This record gives sequence, structure tokens and C-alpha cells, in this order.
Amino acid sequence: MTPKGKKEKKAPILVQMGIFAGVLWVASIISSVLPSNFIVPTPVIGLVLLYLLLTLKIVKVEWVEDFGIFMISLIGFLFVPSGIQIANDLRILREEGLQIVLVIIIATVTLLVVTAYVTRFVIAIHHRINQKHGQITRGGVDDGNIE
Amino acid sequence: MATLNNTLALPFTGIFISLAVFLLGQWLFKITKGFFLFQPLFFGMVTGIILLFIWGKIGGMSTAYVYRHYYKPGGDIIFWFLNPATIAFAIPLFKRNQVLKKYWFDILISLVISSVIALFIILGASKLVGLSYQSAAAMLPQAATTAIAMPITDAIGGNAAVTAMACILKAVILYALADAFIKLFRLQGSKIGLGLGLGTGGTVGSAKALQFGELEGAMASVCVVIIGIVVDLVVIPFAQIFM
Repeated sequence: MTPKGKKEKKAPILVQMGIFAGVLWVASIISSVLPSNFIVPTPVIGLVLLYLLLTLKIVKVEWVEDFGIFMISLIGFLFVPSGIQIANDLRILREEGLQIVLVIIIATVTLLVVTAYVTRFVIAIHHRINQKHGQITRGGVDDGNIE
Repeated sequence: MATLNNTLALPFTGIFISLAVFLLGQWLFKITKGFFLFQPLFFGMVTGIILLFIWGKIGGMSTAYVYRHYYKPGGDIIFWFLNPATIAFAIPLFKRNQVLKKYWFDILISLVISSVIALFIILGASKLVGLSYQSAAAMLPQAATTAIAMPITDAIGGNAAVTAMACILKAVILYALADAFIKLFRLQGSKIGLGLGLGTGGTVGSAKALQFGELEGAMASVCVVIIGIVVDLVVIPFAQIFM
């Protein structure tokens, strides 16, 4: 967003927290009324809601930015308790810890490599379809690469 | 002694332990100029568990009891703040709206197809090494960020703590080896592809992607958000059909 003339006013931090709390509250209600075979966790709904509010210009980015960026900067720390949670069930590590780590390594490589190659493939196909239809792609699917 | 015991069971203990181990990790990470095992989150997790284990040994309690009784009250408070932190990712996503509008179709299709392929490989690997159902199910949503992955694991009957561990280990592995993987598998052929691939590794992967360029970084930060939604839509039906 380019600044338009006057500086956009940042909302006070408490107001920013209020917006976050409101979005989360609504998200938790939506999450709980969804049918039980269609599970969508609260943060997923909250994320989409906040994104829509911003994109539809109902909420200005200046109203949530400071608190949001601050929360994101904390995220590494916020993960600590979720990591320590395994202390509740060390038996699982004793019994299959090695296998779990092995699968995590495989999963990490798989996700990285498969995603990279599938994306390359999808973009190439999309590019070819666009060319067939003789569209001017307006840089639509160029990959920033000379291939 | 009874009152001290009660006091230690208040949230102060867990909050202090979490901060102490994380800050210690940050400091070690800094003075060793980024030694991968001192990545603050990973170091904090391991040290925290060891701490609770030693506490249990000294007090004649199981580690699980120490965790539930002394650590969890504080840990839960910190953990709750993952909710606002996760939805805050809508802000960087919104700022990437231009890239997103240009590429949303390719991003979405690519991530859905790659998640499904990756899920088959991960499930196959889990079966091959003989993981229990609980652990195998925990392996499936790990491409999503922790706050999204854990409830999905719960929903499909897996052990959410294992998923959290997977998300953390994944970051450590990528931090240490991403460059080697990228060279080995020749991933630099597509900037968007590389960015999305690194985005599956969460915030650490995104930071890595930014080192390769603006477009890669943008794609990775978009991927961190979109993959969470894709994982939600894909993993639950996948688990219902194939597990």
C-alpha cells in the first residue's frame, strides 16, 4: 500500500489487541459450529478472517500491524511449550524415537523437493496452456527465469 | 513445604523455565555464530525436557508428572499466544497481495498436488519403519505451522506432541542442510518452486528463502500461510481414506 498524502494513523496497541481478540473470538465460534467431519482449527479461520478484513479494506493494516509483527517476532519462543509437551509421554520417544526422527528427515526432504518440482511443473504447464490460447500473459506465469 | 509445592505449581514456574531455556539457547546460538544444535527453539525444547527429567529424578516423580503438575500451567499460557501469533501471518500475506494475485492459481494447485504426493511418501515411510498409528498420524500435518498442525493431528487421532516435535526438528534440519539439499536436488531451477518448497519449513525455511532473493522470500512467506489451509483441507480426508 502506498502512503496516500497524510500519514495513516496507527491504532493504539490496546485497540490492536482488541481487533485480534475479536477476530479470534469469532473464529473460535465458527470453528466450533462447523460439522464434526469438517474440522477447521481456530487459527486457520482467524487467519482467513483477518486476511479478508485487510483485503476488503474493512480493517486498515495500520490498525493491526504493530501488534501483529510483534507477535510474529515472538513465534520461536511461543513454540517452546509445544516442544516440551513431549515430556508428558517420553515412552513414545523411547519406543520409536529413532523411527520418528527418520520419518521427520524424510518428510522434510520430501516436502522441499516435491513442492519445488511440482511447482516448476505446474508453472510450465500453465505457461504452455496460456501460449496455446495465444494470450498475452502480461508476465502472468513467468517464473522470473530464463528457461 | 506444602505451600512451596503449591506455589511451584502456579504458572510462574512454566513461564520462567520457558523463557530461561529459550534465552539461554539464543545466547549460545549467538556466541557460537549459529551452531545448528543451539537453534534457540530446539535447544529450549531439549533443555526443558532434560530439566523436567532431572527434577523428576530428584523429587522421585515421573517426568510426565513434573510436566503436568509444574510446567504445564505456565506452558499453556505461552502456548495460547500462538493463536494471535498465527493469525498475525495474515499481515505479511496481505502485504504480498500483488504477488499473490499474480500467482495464486499456480501456488494453490502446486501446493495441493505436492501435499498429496508428500503425504503418500510420508505415510509409506512411516509404515516402512513401523510407526504406531498415533505417531504415523502425527507425521502427516507437519508441513503446516505448529498451531495449525497440532489440532489437525488431534482430529485424526495422532499424538500432537510428536507433531510439535516434528515441526521443530524440521526447522533444525532445514537450517543446517537446506543449502546442501538445494544443490543436491538442483532446486534452483524455479524461483517460485524453491520459495514454496522452503515455505513448507515454516519461519526458518522462509528466512532461508529470503537469502536467495525477493521472489523466493515472498513465495515462502505466502506458502507458510497457504500450506496451513491446504494441509487442513487435504490431511483430514487423506487420513480418513488411507489410514
